[in-house]
Amino acid sequence: MFFKSTLYAGIACLTLAVSLAAGAIEARAEQTIVDAGGREVKITDTSRILSIGGDVTEILYALHVDDQIIAVDSTSQFPGDALSKKENVGYLRALSAEGVLSTNPTLIIAAGDAGPPPVVAVLKSSSIPYIQVPDDKTPEGVAAKIRFIAKVVGREAAGETLAKDVDRDFALLAEQRAKIKSPKRALFVLSVQNGRATIGGANTSADAMLKLAGAENAAAGATGYKPMADEAGVDLVPDAIVTMQGGPSGPPTDGIMTVKALAQSPAIKNRRIIEMNGLYLLGFGPRCARAARELMVALYPELALKRASTAE
Amino acid sequence: MTSEALPLTARRAGTHRLSPAQVIGGLAVLLVVAAIASLSLGPTGITLSSLPRAIGAALGTHTDAAATREQLVLLDIRLPRTLLGMFVGASLAIAGAIMQGLFRNPLADPGLIGVSSGAALAAVATIALGNGIAAPLLRPLGIYALPFAAFFGGIITTMVLVAVAGRHGQLMVGTLLLAGIALGALSGALTGLIAYASDDRELRDLTFWSMGSLGGANWPKVFAVLPFAVLIALMAPWLIRGLNGFLLGESEAFHLGINVERTKRAAIVTTAASVGAAVAMAGIIGFVGIVVPHVVRLLAGPDHRVVLPGSALLGAVLMLVADIVARLIVRPAELPIGIVMAAIGTPVFLHLVMKRGIGGME
Amino acid sequence: MLTAHAATFRINGKTLVSDIDITVPPGKLVVLVGPNGAGKSTLLRLLSGELKATSGSIELDGRALGSFSAAELARRRAVVPQSTALSFPFTVREVVMLGATVPGFTSAPEHVERLASDCIRTVGLLALEHRLFTQLSGGERQRVHIARAMLQLAIAERPDDAPAILLLDEPTASLDLSHQGVVLEEARRQAREGRAVLAILHDLNLAAVFADELVLLSDGRVAARGTPAEVLRDDLLSRAYGCEVRTNITPAAGVPFVLPHAIRNR
Repeated sequence: MFFKSTLYAGIACLTLAVSLAAGAIEARAEQTIVDAGGREVKITDTSRILSIGGDVTEILYALHVDDQIIAVDSTSQFPGDALSKKENVGYLRALSAEGVLSTNPTLIIAAGDAGPPPVVAVLKSSSIPYIQVPDDKTPEGVAAKIRFIAKVVGREAAGETLAKDVDRDFALLAEQRAKIKSPKRALFVLSVQNGRATIGGANTSADAMLKLAGAENAAAGATGYKPMADEAGVDLVPDAIVTMQGGPSGPPTDGIMTVKALAQSPAIKNRRIIEMNGLYLLGFGPRCARAARELMVALYPELALKRASTAE
Repeated sequence: MTSEALPLTARRAGTHRLSPAQVIGGLAVLLVVAAIASLSLGPTGITLSSLPRAIGAALGTHTDAAATREQLVLLDIRLPRTLLGMFVGASLAIAGAIMQGLFRNPLADPGLIGVSSGAALAAVATIALGNGIAAPLLRPLGIYALPFAAFFGGIITTMVLVAVAGRHGQLMVGTLLLAGIALGALSGALTGLIAYASDDRELRDLTFWSMGSLGGANWPKVFAVLPFAVLIALMAPWLIRGLNGFLLGESEAFHLGINVERTKRAAIVTTAASVGAAVAMAGIIGFVGIVVPHVVRLLAGPDHRVVLPGSALLGAVLMLVADIVARLIVRPAELPIGIVMAAIGTPVFLHLVMKRGIGGME
Repeated sequence: MLTAHAATFRINGKTLVSDIDITVPPGKLVVLVGPNGAGKSTLLRLLSGELKATSGSIELDGRALGSFSAAELARRRAVVPQSTALSFPFTVREVVMLGATVPGFTSAPEHVERLASDCIRTVGLLALEHRLFTQLSGGERQRVHIARAMLQLAIAERPDDAPAILLLDEPTASLDLSHQGVVLEEARRQAREGRAVLAILHDLNLAAVFADELVLLSDGRVAARGTPAEVLRDDLLSRAYGCEVRTNITPAAGVPFVLPHAIRNR
């Protein structure tokens, strides 16, 4: 009988210790954060997270808190599980106030882009904590974003690891960029309509990515995503064309081949057309450095770059 | 134009009319039902049975999380949305009826006087330039920059139009129509120019705005449209008599004692104000202005004493029904309301036209 | 009483009517005749208040016509137009009821309904009362407008008012023989009841039968004025119409002729 009571006491203690430990992890979720919009937001419960923004969702999955995510927006295309397994609240700039509330989140983590403004205002005025994530489209910005989100969900250690990996990848990328003697001219094509291409000029995510990959943006003369004029297009002479992977209208390469102005460019002549997934390339999420690297490898195969340390 | 012994069958709309009381009464009942449905239905599943608790939360007697949530959904989301939806639907439909009376053409649309394209142009400019050139002007207005700009864009366009068509003291309806089309084309071109200068995100916003949505409804917007609702309610009865006379032509209207110039200007002002406010609050929503007055005419005849109030009621009902569908059908996301409106309205309209004929129009 | 003094109307450099003196006295049916382009319609529109005289004056009850508001005018005079375009599905009865649209009318609805029925019956359209206006022939539409004008005056008039004025612009165009008679009989009856009636007629024979006073217009001026016998003379008509006109001559033997005075309604 003595033995039994000791056993029971032992089990009780063990249970208590485990729950305390677990509770400690849960309890650490209670905190006050100043979000990217300057608001002080008090977080108490991170068990039901609504993630708005493809990059935000990617980071949450990378931090392994995906089982706490109950809903995402329609731009959350990576990993594939996000849209197939979680509820979809629609396009991030066309949210429905009551729709978002109906998913019953205990925490909303949103990219700065979320809209429309009146709906965001209603969500901010509800009792659900709404955290706006910083949105700096630079290597430092990506790491900062990861650290911020990690803090919000109480996974600072994992976040720090991930951020450091990202920092290291970007540093390596910068080293390899330095080795490039003559930068290639690249052109980012967003879409092709009726033989007219829409290209990425300066001040776009595409421009930033091209620069990170060590290329020169052939379209830097324009600002924003612009339709390319036929005559001006002839002067662009890109060595390579970068575009997003095919949507419902078919493989993008076919479309690009119809653009007459580019027909004489080295890119088309040498069939140097690089297709990459949209969110991967332009999302400025945790895979950003990897995407830039892939782009660099595609642009400069002769450099025979080594793969970075982070595994798939 | 000869009456070739056309048989007076019951299918001819002439004898098969519902009485004004039936139409107005029926539509009023329908509106009450639609409003209650709009307040009771939504993706959160909260129904009107939670109303007492929601009011309690608003008054401070209930402070639990569930009551607060119900207050947010019922009183801060659904109620302003229902009220705004009723206003937008009613004002677009009345504007359509007034335009059809003014132009003496059942195909006239409130957009003909340029107010929709002017509002769209201003909205596009706000979306595209609001963070750039126009920022100092628009930022102080915060989230009201867009409705404000859209409203003024619409009114200014209409004023320009009236000035162009109203020289020599007389407002020429034919000139108004042509000038409206021209200004619409100009606005479209300018809109295209601005869209060209905007980035991907802004273009996306523009697309959604031009499909219409009641999703941004809140109490300040409801209060903002209140004066317009009052204006329309005051002007409409006065316009009824004028528009009825107008149907025989401007000369005949004059002979019947109607002040023709004043009627024209009042019609335009009322239309511009109501469409400007509606477009400002909910974006571009087509279909209502043309189809709703038609349906009322098919049911009750062309007397504006029934057509104006009937259009207001039916427009409000249609908007509420479309909005309910828009927010439930892809929950928790939401469809743009213009799409739902056309999808619901078209089959109903076609059915009515086939059953009752196009009302004897030549 | 409706009078015009030296009324002239010029537009875009053209003078449509000039220096017209005309009176539409109560109790009389005045008929305007003349060739196309003589200014008959313009004169009617000046008299109805739709156009403003460039010089000269139009007076009603001693006041300048321009000083009346549209609503005041509508209580004193009604106009039957030549034709209207109507693209909405109003029934005959509804179009007639538009005559009661005048602002300020306060008659009780049953009274109006009864009067409307009377007017419709008078023009012989009771059977078509609920037919769509757009399905009627030109002549039937004309009669609807006459009924409408009659309703307008019937409701407007109060016992101590000066008699109302009825203006008809070619009311018998596209009407059958029988209906021409009906319409002009009604116009004459209105005049007998004390109203002032002015009608533009194309048909000189109809004018001869029904007019109390005939006014012949030519080139925008009054060419002749008086009883039908005084106005329908060879010289006056020939000058006005620009061709050789001989009055009171029967056709050759065996060729029949049908004149309005010999038509009776059953």
